[in-house]
Amino acid sequence: MSKGTARKRSALRKERTTSTKKALIQKEEPRVGVFICQCGSKISSVVDVAALTDYAKNLPGVAYVESMDYPCSRQGQDGIADAIKKKKLERIVVAGCSPRLYEPTFQSCLSKTELNPWLFEMANIREFASYCHQNAPEEATEKAKDLVKMAVAKAKLLEPLKPLHLPMTKKVMVIGGGIAGINAALDLADMGFKVYLVEKSETIGGYMALLDKTFPTLDCSICIEGPKMVDVGRHPNIEIISYADVMKVDGHVGSFRVKIRKNPRYVIAANCTGCGECRDACPIEYPNYADMYLGVRKAISIPFGQAVPLTHTINRDYCIECYKCVDACGAREAIDFDQKPEEIDVTVGAIVVTVGYGMYNPTDLQWTGYGKFSNVFTALEFERLILAAGPTGGKVIRASDGQKPHSVAFIQCVGSRDINKFEYCSSFCCMYTLKHAVMLKEKYREAIEVYVFYNDMRSNFKGYEEFFNRAQKSGVKFLRVKLENRRILENPKTKNLTVFGENEDGEQVTAETEMVVLANAAVPSESASELAKILNIPLGKDGFFVECQSKIRPTDTEVPGIFLAGACQGLKDIPYSVAQGSAAAAQAASVLSKNSWVVEPIIAKVDEDLCSGCKICESACGYQAISVVKTGEKSTARVDEGLCRGCGICSSACPMDAITMPNYSDIQIVAQIQAVAKRKLKKQ
Amino acid sequence: MPLQTLKRETADELVLEWVILIKNYRLILDKKRCVGCQICSLVCPKEAITTARQPVPQGEKALKPRVDIDVSKCNFCGACDILCPYGAINVTVDGKHLLPAVEKGSFPQIVRDIKIDSKKFPLIQIKNEDACPLGLISLHLSSPPEQSADNLEVLKEPEKSEASITVEVDSQHCPCCGYCEEKFPAGTINMGRLFEGKIAINGEKCPEGCTICMDVCPITEVLNLQNEDKKVYVNDKFCVYCGACKIACPVDEALLLKRTRVNHTVVRSGAWNKALERLTSATDMAKELKAKGSTRTRESVKKRIGLKEEKNV
Repeated sequence: MSKGTARKRSALRKERTTSTKKALIQKEEPRVGVFICQCGSKISSVVDVAALTDYAKNLPGVAYVESMDYPCSRQGQDGIADAIKKKKLERIVVAGCSPRLYEPTFQSCLSKTELNPWLFEMANIREFASYCHQNAPEEATEKAKDLVKMAVAKAKLLEPLKPLHLPMTKKVMVIGGGIAGINAALDLADMGFKVYLVEKSETIGGYMALLDKTFPTLDCSICIEGPKMVDVGRHPNIEIISYADVMKVDGHVGSFRVKIRKNPRYVIAANCTGCGECRDACPIEYPNYADMYLGVRKAISIPFGQAVPLTHTINRDYCIECYKCVDACGAREAIDFDQKPEEIDVTVGAIVVTVGYGMYNPTDLQWTGYGKFSNVFTALEFERLILAAGPTGGKVIRASDGQKPHSVAFIQCVGSRDINKFEYCSSFCCMYTLKHAVMLKEKYREAIEVYVFYNDMRSNFKGYEEFFNRAQKSGVKFLRVKLENRRILENPKTKNLTVFGENEDGEQVTAETEMVVLANAAVPSESASELAKILNIPLGKDGFFVECQSKIRPTDTEVPGIFLAGACQGLKDIPYSVAQGSAAAAQAASVLSKNSWVVEPIIAKVDEDLCSGCKICESACGYQAISVVKTGEKSTARVDEGLCRGCGICSSACPMDAITMPNYSDIQIVAQIQAVAKRKLKKQ
Repeated sequence: MPLQTLKRETADELVLEWVILIKNYRLILDKKRCVGCQICSLVCPKEAITTARQPVPQGEKALKPRVDIDVSKCNFCGACDILCPYGAINVTVDGKHLLPAVEKGSFPQIVRDIKIDSKKFPLIQIKNEDACPLGLISLHLSSPPEQSADNLEVLKEPEKSEASITVEVDSQHCPCCGYCEEKFPAGTINMGRLFEGKIAINGEKCPEGCTICMDVCPITEVLNLQNEDKKVYVNDKFCVYCGACKIACPVDEALLLKRTRVNHTVVRSGAWNKALERLTSATDMAKELKAKGSTRTRESVKKRIGLKEEKNV
């Protein structure tokens, strides 16, 4: 930039500031109405509302002041609307609680009158005065006066604004095909929305598809989930994009542009009938993740029989390219060794994130002996052992000798509830251990001893406590131990394992068993952190996605149009995941069913003449909402109205003062500061 | 029980293992039998095996090239086992030497065509080491029974004239060099070669007095140092064309070795075509395919190697 342009720009800057000032400071001061809330007694018990009312009346520009019990109530709102009409008020100030809670209420009240809803300002005299200065009422009152004075000063300079309307794409993407994602997808598809269900692995189904039974009813897991998976595969409104990764997400609610990479299966999905002849011809086997690596699968295969889509996949890490599968497939010609990763772009109005969880590998917890002692299994491994379609055909056997164990010990809280590992409770381990214990005991009765080393038994949902009772009645021995000082030792000859624990009194509790099953912690999904970056949604300290508000908005994220369901938001069992999947679907549908998405107009505005295209705003923005683009000859910053959250950071970062926030402009903020600081200066 | 991929090495063997609850895959490399010839590295479809020249210890015989296997790449397909001319690699599934890659026709079996006519065997005294450079031949006196064939001189008439000898070759580990054919009377042992090829030494490049190739060659009389010019000369009569010498040779292009054909059972497999191409050359592989008349496979190969094949054939 040459000196000449810099000078020109600086002159322009001055000119702009004066012209905005002129525009905002009208010749005739607008008539301000101040409504002071007593909030029951939550404000009035500390702040002297009468004194505050008198004070407000004398503020320049204030035409009307009224103290009310609850301005937010229906009568209160009617009162404000009435005053606007009768007293010809042009600006409204409510001195009460936080605008985060009640600004929308008052704005909708204003919108029913002739006033523009943005000619409204709140002074928070509850949180900022009465709540935090409970023991100093005089000072609290003084502060409340200042807050009202500031609000009035700003209110006089407010501009009327118009809400923005963003177009709505009536399509939705569900990321993650576990039971939560399946339910969200089915619900949304049934409501008539086109659903893209993106799944990382070869098949949808998630962990539920790998389980044998479900607690507390001992229903066969895949028998419940399988039909739902098939429904997803057949639904005309659902397109499954499996074996795929979400690479990039741009845009905002109403029109998220998603880039997906479909990884090559080396099998053409449209031609593959799932017959399995290629699988039979294939000579190569490799450990199957779906069997927790206890079993094997062919280099061309499906992970398990009920896979949806039933498309085979070649694992090129193991394939030797003998092309026996090509011969076996024959005229169907489904095999294509030249397949390349494929990128697809889709635009959706909303996104539901259901990426689930992962399992912690307890090898580094030395006391468990996992990985060292062959008869120590994790719970999910045990699940595959006891499953009739599993690698052993449902036979629970020891790894050391292939024999059925006569005693099994279940160890709870392995990694979970451990300050040094995972502080949280993994939530479903107590129940699946009860399930495993009951299954073993009811199947083998006296032929097996079952021990559960637990600390707290958490069976707090419908039918769960009853199931705990069933386990106790079936003869399972529950041994309560502290989480510290647990140990497992192996007899090198018999390969039997002795479990040691300590009870509340510090006494040793021990049992010698032939097999140990660890309830290892569930952890955030491997893809969660990457996805958090792509979607710009926050992850908690524990690695799970953070919902917008844990009590009343548990499926919303902070990004409008992106919703959460299932274990990726926090560990939860199947019924809860299913319910949350449907909840997120309903939330997404409430967005998708709108014809346009209304955005509050507090959005950064760029003065293109002033902007030098320095990109400082681009790096300052936490929402990727502002970017410098080439417009004609010069590059200027452009704001994505759907992404901008009105935080104002770009405005303060801009060295050229080229970005302004409507109703949060320098002039308006300086007026607020002057209102309070002038008085303080005089006093000193 | 997490998935365990194990690798352990002793002075005598290198063992790789997949410990899966219901299955056990194991690969054992017998380091005593291994000559470091690179055949396994060439045929491995996963390129998991490396064969590397070892530094020559001062004043000692050169060490044979060292074979190493990457356990993260090995998928226990058994190609190395099938093609090792010295039978130094053994891949087992649950302890059994049944290789799915052979069963399903993804790899051929190497043909060890060894014919022994015991009837023609005269009563001769020969030491195992003298009959076979690898010591794979054992002689038994079949009659009179319970007599060792080690010392035939103790035999007296009439047993001597009635005595007969049984010859056994440990064919599993035999590279079919044909040395024994020469050592026994004509017609007693006949064997086909595993590989056909060419071996030559470029006298100009062969460094004077260097015997590394001779040190690593497991077969007697193939490579010989001439006294006059202190250079190595080849007698390819017994050469197996395994290539250990070529790996070990420290000078580029001093030793030229080329395999042109592999004696194997017939299969139709892309993996084998690739292995054959690496073992021989694109041209030789294409020749074999042509001979087989398998047009479809040939076309796929043509596609893969492009114009190169057009030029050569």
